[in-house]
Amino acid sequence: MTNVYMPRKAEIVSIIPQTDIDYTFRLKSDILPQHGQFLQVSIPKIGEAPISISDYTDEYIELTIRKVGTVTDAIHELKPGDFLFIRGPYGHGFPVEDFKNKNVVIAAGGTGLAPVKSIINRYNRNPKEIKNLNILVGFKSPKDILFEDEIKKWKEKFDVLLTVDNGDETWTGNTGLITKFIPDLKIENPDDTIVIVVGPPMMMKFTCLEFLKRGIPEKNIWVSFERKMSCSIGKCGHCKINETYVCLEGPVFNYTKSKQLLD
Amino acid sequence: MGIELDVKSFDNALKILSKKYKIFAPVRLKGKGSFSDTDLVTYGEISSYKDIELSEKSRYSPKEVIYPITQTLFYFTEDEYKEPEIDDKGIIVFLRPCDANSYLKLDNIFLKNGPYEDNYYKRLRDKVKFFVIECTKGFSTCFCVSTGSNKFLDYDVFFRFDNDKITCDVKNDEFSYAFSGKEVEFTPEFIEKNEIEVKLPDIDKISQNLEYVFNHELWDEYTKRCIACGRCTVSCPTCSCFSMQDIFYKDNPKCGERRRVWASCMVDGFTDVAGGHSYRQKYGERMRFKVMHKIYDYKKRFGTTMCVGCGRCDDVCPEYISFIKIVSKVTDAVDRGESK
Amino acid sequence: MILDIDTKLLKKNAYRVTKQRGITALRIRVPGGHLNIKYFDIIKEVAEKYGNGTVHITTRQGFEIPGISMEKIDEINELISPIIRGLKDEGVQIEDEEGGYPAAGTRNVSACIGNRVCPFANYDTTALALKIEKLIYPNDYHVKIAVTGCPNDCIKAHMQDIGIIGQVEPIYDPSRCIGCQACVKNCKRRVTGALTFENFKVVRDPNRCISCGECILKCPTSAWTRGEKYYRIVIMGRTGKKNPRLAQTFIEWADEESVLKIIKNMYDFIDKYIDKTLDKEHVGYIVDREGFKKFKEEVLKDVKLPKKAKVANHIDYTGYRYERNTIYD
Repeated sequence: MTNVYMPRKAEIVSIIPQTDIDYTFRLKSDILPQHGQFLQVSIPKIGEAPISISDYTDEYIELTIRKVGTVTDAIHELKPGDFLFIRGPYGHGFPVEDFKNKNVVIAAGGTGLAPVKSIINRYNRNPKEIKNLNILVGFKSPKDILFEDEIKKWKEKFDVLLTVDNGDETWTGNTGLITKFIPDLKIENPDDTIVIVVGPPMMMKFTCLEFLKRGIPEKNIWVSFERKMSCSIGKCGHCKINETYVCLEGPVFNYTKSKQLLD
Repeated sequence: MGIELDVKSFDNALKILSKKYKIFAPVRLKGKGSFSDTDLVTYGEISSYKDIELSEKSRYSPKEVIYPITQTLFYFTEDEYKEPEIDDKGIIVFLRPCDANSYLKLDNIFLKNGPYEDNYYKRLRDKVKFFVIECTKGFSTCFCVSTGSNKFLDYDVFFRFDNDKITCDVKNDEFSYAFSGKEVEFTPEFIEKNEIEVKLPDIDKISQNLEYVFNHELWDEYTKRCIACGRCTVSCPTCSCFSMQDIFYKDNPKCGERRRVWASCMVDGFTDVAGGHSYRQKYGERMRFKVMHKIYDYKKRFGTTMCVGCGRCDDVCPEYISFIKIVSKVTDAVDRGESK
Repeated sequence: MILDIDTKLLKKNAYRVTKQRGITALRIRVPGGHLNIKYFDIIKEVAEKYGNGTVHITTRQGFEIPGISMEKIDEINELISPIIRGLKDEGVQIEDEEGGYPAAGTRNVSACIGNRVCPFANYDTTALALKIEKLIYPNDYHVKIAVTGCPNDCIKAHMQDIGIIGQVEPIYDPSRCIGCQACVKNCKRRVTGALTFENFKVVRDPNRCISCGECILKCPTSAWTRGEKYYRIVIMGRTGKKNPRLAQTFIEWADEESVLKIIKNMYDFIDKYIDKTLDKEHVGYIVDREGFKKFKEEVLKDVKLPKKAKVANHIDYTGYRYERNTIYD
């Protein structure tokens, strides 16, 4: 009988610190996930945690992990050459095939940038796949900014709006919540525009509402949910919202569905 | 046709069967009730007729026979993952039709939900033989007829316990060798009417009025009354949620295990995500989540009501909250809401 | 009218000398505070026919019927004979059922409602009270005993010469624990914080645990269940004018047999050391005079305590005194 809970060993090739508490771990792996899928990542005797895949190639995958609990604390102690244990990928990712030749807006708050980073890099490699890409990223403060180098690269090709909730004395960029910038965003044809929103629950809620105000049809908006998960395969019940298992039907949802996920 | 047995021949059958099977039934554990000088009726291994407790509903359901409260998934030695062995004996469970049906409800979650079968569940579940106990009267909080769980025909052996007179119908020939006695006419009977009748809500109507039902004021009462202790979910034969735990052994930190342990959507911590956020903080919201699973969304997913109507949740609630009453309130609300 | 009454006999008979000349009051014993309702008719009749139509509920759970003429004592004693017979039927040694109560020094054994009703109680307090009553009554020595179901001590066993507090050994089955921490939180909030949560399971500190059994009550899965019943014996608590104080723990994890034997032995101790020149002497003051060590030796004579039992080596009585010089008198 296949043991569906059995993870496999994956070697850490490199570790790229993003902030004091967010590190990107590059693991040797040939998994080719969908954008937005996640893995169950574990250290034996410490525990397992669901982590979204922040990027991948056919040789490695990247996990950007914030130090927020027992498991992630322990992962942060690891060094290149150490092993993590992974199972997955799980869940449904973003249906990028449907986004082809459209205008795409990606709005990400904080660690919410991780699950959509691979999509941005996909378009960065192959900008012709879509008509246009608009990126809005918000962080709490300048020291919380993730993927700074990559954001710089994206700016060369796309409209990137980087904002922080609260700046400091050195910060000369935008300040304020993402929602502040949506009313002035250039959206030429709302029906032909796909919006991806990922971030903390409140940020997602209000960001979606702003895009709806701009005339984006509900069916064009995509979000990704974070929930407690133990199994990731529809058994443990933790991630269930009403009739929906986030691990099975999500974590990526179309807005027409996500708005019904009452909790 | 049935076979009539006396206690001696029944015990003899158990003896024969125990060579190949572990045999479970409701048992009375003297003095093990929560309150002093009370007993605990629960499922346990038996070896004779006198071990079986039929006069009282068991506080806990037989789900723990196939889905233990704590189940080790892996043993760790250094970086090795080792799956625990299980013994090769089969499992016989004496249970009433409601509880037998509850196994089918668990099957939906563990074997049919999502793309994979849960191997830990399956390896125990595959061993199960249903020895169904005839139940024609039920107990005062039973409502199995309302939930459609009063019958279970897919039994291996069916038993009527009439004081010390035992009649059985051996449907699975595999067990014929164990039971010998006088052949008699025997038609298994099932309860046709409980003291309590509950009208379940129409799930299509809920679907059409989802926000109305979810935001209904009926749930507010339970924010005040419920204490989020989880007794209802622990005693429920169909609740199946669990959490994973990794531990290392204190005396040998290099070794440890990963296990899964029952979890309850009513208890704090169930929805905690990294960074401190949690959902359904109000107890009324948890109650809604649980009740809707039992009577609405599970049915939408699998086509059958999750709740089997055993009434254990009503029996064990220390705050005297009645699930049955909540179901009636939901049905009323749905019916009234639709007419608006 | 000539009133020539031996007040010592009157008091021994459970009547009292009141502030009103010639008028007495009768105390009905209610062992364990639990009485068959059929006796209410008798109490009613005494109160209506001989008393002033009222009844007082005593602090020791008896009934006191006031406003009785001392001349009617014999008649009343005959009237209450079914109540006395009731005690006798329970096994209390009483010779003359028609003669009223044969002694009043040893007070009614009081009890909280116990596990016949209360979920917290660790045993049947009424039943134990009755067993003690059989053992020690009738007796003239002034002794107060109370039994309580759990360390909540609703009966105020800590104010008695002997207080019996129900204990239960909680047994933990980690495989049944779902880690809800209901027991841990409750023990911290309401008891002594003897439980901690480590490695997803509960750890009990036996030195902090007062064996109240709340963890068992709170557990949704029966991971905590009841082990053996035990009793904590607290001794020499008292009110009174001279030196009120709370009782202190003498023995933990005693079994019922030991409890009964210790109580019995205490009467021998009193008998041996009481100051016979006095009208009466409370056991607590005898222990104060003779010392705890002597008391301990005497009451533990032939007592077979369970292995688990722990006996105090010394007792740190505090209590308070109104005037310092009473210590030196």
